[in-house]
Amino acid sequence: MLTVDLALAGLGVGAIAALAAVGLITSYRATGVFNLGFGALAMVIAYLLWQQVRVWDWPVVPAALFDVLVVAPVFGLLLERFVFRGLGRRGAGPAEMLAASLGVLVMLLGVAILTWGTESRLDPPALFGGPPIDLWGDATVSRAAVIELGVVVGVALLVAAVTRFTRFGADLRAVVDQRELAELTGVPADRVAAVGWAFGSMLAGLTGILLAPHLRLDPFGLTLLVLEIIGVAVVARLTSLPVAILVAVAIGVGQSELTRVQLTGRAQNLLQALQSNLFVVVLLLALLLLPRMVEVGARGTSPWTDPGARGRLPALWWLPYPLLLAAPLALGTEHLQSAQQVPALAIVFVSLVIVTGYAGQVSLGQAGFAGLGALIAASLVSGQFFGLPETPGLLALPLAALLVIPLGLLTGWPAIRRRGLALALTTFAVAAVVSRFVFAQPIFTTGLRLDHPWPFDDERAFYVLELLCLGLVLLLVRRLHQGRLGRMLVATRDSEGGAAASGVDVPNLKVFVFAVSAGVAALGGALLGMAGRAFDAQVFDPIQGLIWFAAVVVFGVDSAAGAVLAAALIVGLDSGTRPGMSVIVVGAGAVLLSRMPGGALATARRLWDSRPPESAPRAPVRLTARGEAVRARVRSRRPAEAPTGDGAGLPDAPAGGVS
Amino acid sequence: MPTALSLHGVRVSYGPVEALHGVDLAFPDGAVTALLGRNGAGRSTLLRTLAGLLTPTAGRIEWDGRDITRWTAAERARDGLALIPDGKGVFGGLSVRDNLTVFAGGATDITPALDAFPVLRKRLAQRAGTLSGGEQQMLAVSRALLRPSRVLLLDELSQGLAPRVVGQLYEVVTQLAAEKRAVVLVEQYAGEALRRADVAYVLRRGQVAFAGEPGELMTDGHVSLFD
Repeated sequence: MLTVDLALAGLGVGAIAALAAVGLITSYRATGVFNLGFGALAMVIAYLLWQQVRVWDWPVVPAALFDVLVVAPVFGLLLERFVFRGLGRRGAGPAEMLAASLGVLVMLLGVAILTWGTESRLDPPALFGGPPIDLWGDATVSRAAVIELGVVVGVALLVAAVTRFTRFGADLRAVVDQRELAELTGVPADRVAAVGWAFGSMLAGLTGILLAPHLRLDPFGLTLLVLEIIGVAVVARLTSLPVAILVAVAIGVGQSELTRVQLTGRAQNLLQALQSNLFVVVLLLALLLLPRMVEVGARGTSPWTDPGARGRLPALWWLPYPLLLAAPLALGTEHLQSAQQVPALAIVFVSLVIVTGYAGQVSLGQAGFAGLGALIAASLVSGQFFGLPETPGLLALPLAALLVIPLGLLTGWPAIRRRGLALALTTFAVAAVVSRFVFAQPIFTTGLRLDHPWPFDDERAFYVLELLCLGLVLLLVRRLHQGRLGRMLVATRDSEGGAAASGVDVPNLKVFVFAVSAGVAALGGALLGMAGRAFDAQVFDPIQGLIWFAAVVVFGVDSAAGAVLAAALIVGLDSGTRPGMSVIVVGAGAVLLSRMPGGALATARRLWDSRPPESAPRAPVRLTARGEAVRARVRSRRPAEAPTGDGAGLPDAPAGGVS
Repeated sequence: MPTALSLHGVRVSYGPVEALHGVDLAFPDGAVTALLGRNGAGRSTLLRTLAGLLTPTAGRIEWDGRDITRWTAAERARDGLALIPDGKGVFGGLSVRDNLTVFAGGATDITPALDAFPVLRKRLAQRAGTLSGGEQQMLAVSRALLRPSRVLLLDELSQGLAPRVVGQLYEVVTQLAAEKRAVVLVEQYAGEALRRADVAYVLRRGQVAFAGEPGELMTDGHVSLFD
């Protein structure tokens, strides 16, 4: 095939990526929220269209118009009203907004899994069909690709015209920039923000409907693809729509052209991996190498989540935890096997508490570290780790954790200069690259075996081993959280500048925390693999990492006890109800974060400790002679309305005014 | 002087902590009122409550005889109540021109602001967040010049600014007050505000500790009110 033909073939992929990137950027500029749920909403709308056309036999075009123009915008309005308005009103930083959008993603994934299952649908309805367009010679181009490119350019022009040349555009940018000031200026901020959300959601729906026919429709695939296309938006620095379109088309064409290159042996495998995962590579490289993105909305250094006011802990608050964790020992083998996921998952969650809760460094990539822990443990046990002989499982556990620490150091390095959105995306990109270039490559995963380590072969004995590991990790966490190191971490979380000015070596502290957290996550991942007696790449999917992160935030990102509870809840719900139920519960909790500052546990503590508002004692008021006269005059005019207090202050009736 | 705006037994809380303990105040029309007090006295809370950004837990707010306690900030702003907040009075991510356009509420004529503060004319394409502190404050005050307002609330107008810039800002504010507006100046340090004011209040721990003429406050040895 000629190069031109390949380029034209790549145009289709480029057009789709351009549409998703334009949607992401426009939605971000219109709402001030980098909506990680954008891909999930696209996926749900694509599923809805599939349901309408394939199951209910609706005609495709009216159904698509209904979904894009009605369903998606209404969903955007609901998001604005019930999730983001509260956060916007209390001036939540971009990090908290990101957590809430993660909740939207997780909840929509749960809804899709519960409604349509996880199996792939191979027949998503296509909006644009017809034969390819003949160009010259034998060259043809997909009709759908041309139409999609036209849609993208049209949307970009419309957005540019509205934001630059209309009053609504100026109001919208004002609301995104500073909602409170916009209100003070008379701008109906709620209405303007609602329109922004409706439009952003409409673009998500359009993206899903146009993307689906090019893919197999399943909850994770489409969602993850849109997340990977974030790289295009990052190259465009989250601001330039023309750059986003050009970059997306260039990557699509480049991906297509790479199929011409033929290498041999492992190099060919690597090339194929690069070709099919070019968007992920662009995402990571863009985040590491390009200048900072142009972020909108609340600026500043607000911590990851609002910890809220602390309540008092009830007596013996810790008692349920050992009972909860020991209870499975009394269960039968089948239930015990399910319960074995709890301590392992709890260790992974505690790693998030260390890096995000204590140090304030957003990490969406813990699934990558956990998966590497499982993979390395399996490689060691199988004797496939760079020529090392077979290693006993009990030794492979700590070795796996130690060997992942260097990767934690590498991930911590970008964190030195990044925070908030940029750091969150970077850590997610690392997990996505590890997933695509390691977990998905047969060269690393074939012929591996993993089992309960000797002498903990028995189900109960292995569970006890897990509890011991969890106990050790909790002791480590306690050590990290208290004393000088704990104070340094909290100081860095709350104000990096202030911590540095106080003599804290902030860059090294950040790298250290990432390394420790990676090691702990790897230990949890290795245990998770041993509990399942195999390395399963699906368990460590990057999207799974996002769900884990949301779960930890919901229960209190700085609470190790919350992390243990979150693990128990996820495993309990999925084992006791339907798979996917935990995802819905976690997602619902995350979208309600604006109503529970600090997470569920902190909110429960505050409710436990709730007290009526304090009223300060009234100080004696010194009125001038004029003040006394005015007070006397006002009281004589309105005898029935005595002042609510002791008469502090001046006139309580404006009739006569102040003279 | 007729009263433009008044508070009756207003209480405001931040969670379990009450910041204003049943405040009664009146702000006269066509005059400058200075609202003074030390840090934490409740001055900014009171101003934000007047503007609709905080909702009282008790009491009511009246404006020209209408109860506006439940009005939103945007409704009050559209009816002519303008708060220039402390240090956050501009849209930092927008250009100066876009700021003025939003302030003007869609009107295209932004010349009154540019005439009052000529330095802004050279900065029209510049992002407001990159202006100096004084220029940002000038841009913020421009809102009162571009949109007809009947009550102007200014929070810490002079904070961190050079005396020359403060003088320039106060000149504009005095002109605005002369156009039949109620102007409320909130300042921690009394000097310039008292010189411009017709009425003065001092807040202390969420209550009114002094009410009267600025002259009395300057001469009667009320220094302890600021402790």
